[in-house]
Amino acid sequence: MTDGLPVDPLALREEVKSKYRAVAVDPHRSYHFHTGRLLARRLGYDEAVVAALPNSAVEAFAGVGNPFSLGTLKRGERVVDLGSGGGFDCFIAAGQVGPKGRVVGVDMTEEMLARSRAAAAAMGLHNVEFRQGVIEDLPVENGSADVVISNGVINLCADKRRVFAEVMRVLKPGGRLQLADIANGKEIPAGALCNIDLWTD
Amino acid sequence: MLEQSGFVDVRIGPPVDTFGGAGGESKARLFEVFGYAFLAHKPT
Repeated sequence: MTDGLPVDPLALREEVKSKYRAVAVDPHRSYHFHTGRLLARRLGYDEAVVAALPNSAVEAFAGVGNPFSLGTLKRGERVVDLGSGGGFDCFIAAGQVGPKGRVVGVDMTEEMLARSRAAAAAMGLHNVEFRQGVIEDLPVENGSADVVISNGVINLCADKRRVFAEVMRVLKPGGRLQLADIANGKEIPAGALCNIDLWTD
Repeated sequence: MLEQSGFVDVRIGPPVDTFGGAGGESKARLFEVFGYAFLAHKPT
């Protein structure tokens, strides 16, 4: 336990970084989760929109749901993506908000940032930016976002209350959080909660 | 936790079988793990 948390947040962060560094470098390897275009189809993304994206923008996608399924973003909105990974959701968001909107993806893994920045450059997107940082301490200005999105990332953070406090900080009043993540129907034993390997495998 | 963090008008979408057919499927089944979409608002 660390400050009442089930696992050491820094140790968990390093484990997560290691896992997603591997996805960034080799997205076609077998993981405990699906990746890429097949995953996007499974999660209900608009197939025409995904088909229009280059492989480099899709193949490292490793989300767990569809943050756009409960509402499409509006033209001109300013968006922050927590744990943007290979950039897939940022590219979907960029299409929805249009050239007058802006999308900031935040990720801690250098290999993912390199991948997402390269894909954005290849697509000639000027309304998407990727920043290095952790979602418990977002490198984003107070009250600057209309929408915060995230996909399969918050479950990998030990201190979720701190993440939600950061989301509150960066959202404008009346702004919204469009989040996709996993939840368990059966209680996980306390002993298992303390096992970092079970958080990431 | 969203409401405890101050969010209002929270909506949750239907479950998605995120891990079906993947390596993590058996563990996901054991704890009934599914993917969900959440929508929540910061008060005005």
